[in-house]
Amino acid sequence: MKSITTFAAVFAATIITALAAPQVGQPAPEFTLTDSNGKSHKLSDFKGKIVVLEWLNHGCPFVVKHYGSGNMQKLQKEYTGKDVVWLSIVSSAPGKQGHMSAADTNKTKEEKGSAATAVLIDEDGTVGKLYDAKVTPELYVVDREGTLIYAGAIDSVKSTDAADIDGAKNYVKQALDEALEGKPVSEGTTTAYGCGIKYAD
Amino acid sequence: MSVTKNIFALILFLAAFAQPGEAQLYQGRKLVEASLFADTTSVVPGKPFRLGLHLKIAPGWHVYWKNPGDSGIATEPGWDLPENFKVGSLQWPLPKRIAEPGNIEVYAYKNETLLVAEVVPPQNLDGESVTFRAKPKWLVCEQICIPGAAELELTLPVSSDAAPSSAALFAKFAAELPSTSPPPFGLAWTRTATGWNLSVTGVEDAGRADFYPYANDTAPIGHTAPVQIAEGAADLAVPVEKSPPISGVVVLENGERRGWIISSEQNISPQAAPAQTAASGLLRYLLLGLIGGFILNLMPCVLPVISLKIFGFMRQAGDSRGQILKHGLAFAAGIFVWFLGLAAVIVALKSAGNEVTWAFQFQNPWFNFAIGAVVFVFALNLFGVFEIVLPGRASQGIAEAGSHGGLTGSFAQGVLATLLATPCTAPFLGTALGFAFSQSALVIFAMFAAVAAGMALPYVLLSAQPGWMKFLPKPGAWMERLKQFMGFPLIATLLWLLYVIGQQRGTDAVIWASAAYLFLGLAAWLYGAFLGPLSHVRAKTLATAGIILSLLLGLGYFAGNLFARAAATLPEKSAAPPRDGMPWVPYSEAELQRLLGEGKSVFLDFTADWCITCKFNMRTAIDTAAVRAAFEKLGIVPMLADWTNSNPEITKKLAQFDRVGVPFYLFYPPGRADDPVVLPELLTEQIVLRTIGVKP
Repeated sequence: MKSITTFAAVFAATIITALAAPQVGQPAPEFTLTDSNGKSHKLSDFKGKIVVLEWLNHGCPFVVKHYGSGNMQKLQKEYTGKDVVWLSIVSSAPGKQGHMSAADTNKTKEEKGSAATAVLIDEDGTVGKLYDAKVTPELYVVDREGTLIYAGAIDSVKSTDAADIDGAKNYVKQALDEALEGKPVSEGTTTAYGCGIKYAD
Repeated sequence: MSVTKNIFALILFLAAFAQPGEAQLYQGRKLVEASLFADTTSVVPGKPFRLGLHLKIAPGWHVYWKNPGDSGIATEPGWDLPENFKVGSLQWPLPKRIAEPGNIEVYAYKNETLLVAEVVPPQNLDGESVTFRAKPKWLVCEQICIPGAAELELTLPVSSDAAPSSAALFAKFAAELPSTSPPPFGLAWTRTATGWNLSVTGVEDAGRADFYPYANDTAPIGHTAPVQIAEGAADLAVPVEKSPPISGVVVLENGERRGWIISSEQNISPQAAPAQTAASGLLRYLLLGLIGGFILNLMPCVLPVISLKIFGFMRQAGDSRGQILKHGLAFAAGIFVWFLGLAAVIVALKSAGNEVTWAFQFQNPWFNFAIGAVVFVFALNLFGVFEIVLPGRASQGIAEAGSHGGLTGSFAQGVLATLLATPCTAPFLGTALGFAFSQSALVIFAMFAAVAAGMALPYVLLSAQPGWMKFLPKPGAWMERLKQFMGFPLIATLLWLLYVIGQQRGTDAVIWASAAYLFLGLAAWLYGAFLGPLSHVRAKTLATAGIILSLLLGLGYFAGNLFARAAATLPEKSAAPPRDGMPWVPYSEAELQRLLGEGKSVFLDFTADWCITCKFNMRTAIDTAAVRAAFEKLGIVPMLADWTNSNPEITKKLAQFDRVGVPFYLFYPPGRADDPVVLPELLTEQIVLRTIGVKP
């Protein structure tokens, strides 16, 4: 009997989550988060600009693949140079991998040469769960009107090997290029790959 | 160290056991230990065996299944086998669900797993031993994730016989490998607002059902919650946006876990018992083949032969009963020989790795030329230009030889009838052949035999029960006139073949083929006029020389030289000339995907000039004023896939829908790029209009 109740609960949770998950083509859910410098950012503040949300955990081998090779920083530099806002979000819970103090976050950002506009701290995982973000790296792109236009993987080759980056198709780059040219995004949803986000238990 | 290692390796070599594994260390702990095993003590040339990649995983940690789920990455075996060894796809034991905070769920293995692949050694092996290498890569996670890799090798002796090895290990995991056969219970897939619903029915009323999807790169698939089985059934919800076709493993858990690899294309009715599913499926297809073969008799491309055959029966009605049955059976034998011969060619080509499809022979202009020659000579025979004199005639009595020749004639007609029937894929035949082409050689033969039986059925029945033929008119002088008249449908068939040749290779090819036929006709006339038993020796010699000259000119010069060159010089055919009112867009997969990507609705017509059914459908059901108007009004793009000449892209597209022939019609409603409507092969205007959503 207990097991049936459990299944029912899991089932209901799945349905609710599925319904709550943001849909590409729909407005991106609004949120407010504080960055590593103590500054508060609201998504709607960036209306009129294209916004990238990048879930981040520097301890994850998939993140290491893209930061170790400089791939992520290159993307950040290129598109923040084109007036795109790039927000890295850390949803790791305190005590779990990827969680850092504000000072350490700033230090790491500098060490890695990240060109993100800001690194946002989401230690209770509210915004991560709001976006149904499950892995690092997982990327979302929001257009100038606040509509979610991309959700998914950074690129097409699922691996932890930096050597695979060159042969992969970068979905985020594709989405941003298309959005900047005012074209519809050709691949708006992909299956993200990476480490599970270290949410609070 | 190296000496000890060598001795150790030698011991293992002799025991034909796995080489020592390689461990992934993390902060002094062994996280994953990888080793390579074989289920055989030695490699026997040509005899398949299994290799297993064993991963021993530290407690609390996990490595990932084929679809890792929300996070993680599938383990890669990294096989590096010696040249000419073939390795099959990786077989994955059933994974477990592991839930993490944040509604993250992964499909993974804890403690240990064995990833298995079948290996086929080459027929010839030099050397005394073979070394298999693998460089597996994996991601092992607990709270955090660490990538791991190993370089493994396993050396096995080459021998003419082998004993099982590591049997317990392989047996333990074999029980966890999902079955590739259809499951012994009912499956029904329905689309829902949030994805797919999979109904499992006819299962034991205990335990629970579960589904593990294979990943889809552009449509993330959510988690299915396992469901308790009640009243022999369970409904599993698979959340996925836009409900693309999916596949995965359905699992029943009742103390032990058993899995079956299934796809959403597969619906199984619950009544079918496990062993019967395959067999009854085959029987059903064979029955379809039989019916299809029967219907071939009624298809437009066989009609000329039918009339020929009806005439034959009329003539036979004057013979004795046994004689008539013999004719019927000879005709049936002709049908069988052709179909089984075709089956043999297909099996041979299939094993050679060629793409072969129904009516493929009409894509070859030389084949059409040869058939045209046969039809033409047959027609001349009916017109009375010459009589077929078989070699046996001279030595045997006239009556006996006559019946012998008649039987051979019936046999030849059987072959001809089937030859002409192939371009018409009758409705049932399409499905049945689509099934057969993906099957073993034996099934292909069975399938073709079923089609042959269906086609031969009416003739055998009529000849076994000649009483039914008493309704046919009495023989008489009119028969000679009728025989001559029957030549005209054959000439009509010849015109059609020339039309196909013209479509394939241009007007020049038609002229040169006709010239070749002219000389063939001259040869036939010389044969009939001067080689009879009453002719003088001198006339015979001259006639023979004339025949040889005619054949040399006709076949050697006009066919062998001019026709062959015309074939080579034809400019690329523009795929869809606006010959009809319909503004056809020529098919290419890229163009189709572009149109569908724009959300357009597309009507895709697979046709070929040699396909009379296609032409008939085109004239009567597709390219009509009403359909053209409806297409224009609804913004439906008409797209034409012209299969007159061999076209691998079209062949591939047909294969996607398990088809091996034309006609074939698909309708993509707006926004249903992954899920077109398949139309029947015999169309009416009403069917087309109803399919696109217009009330006729």
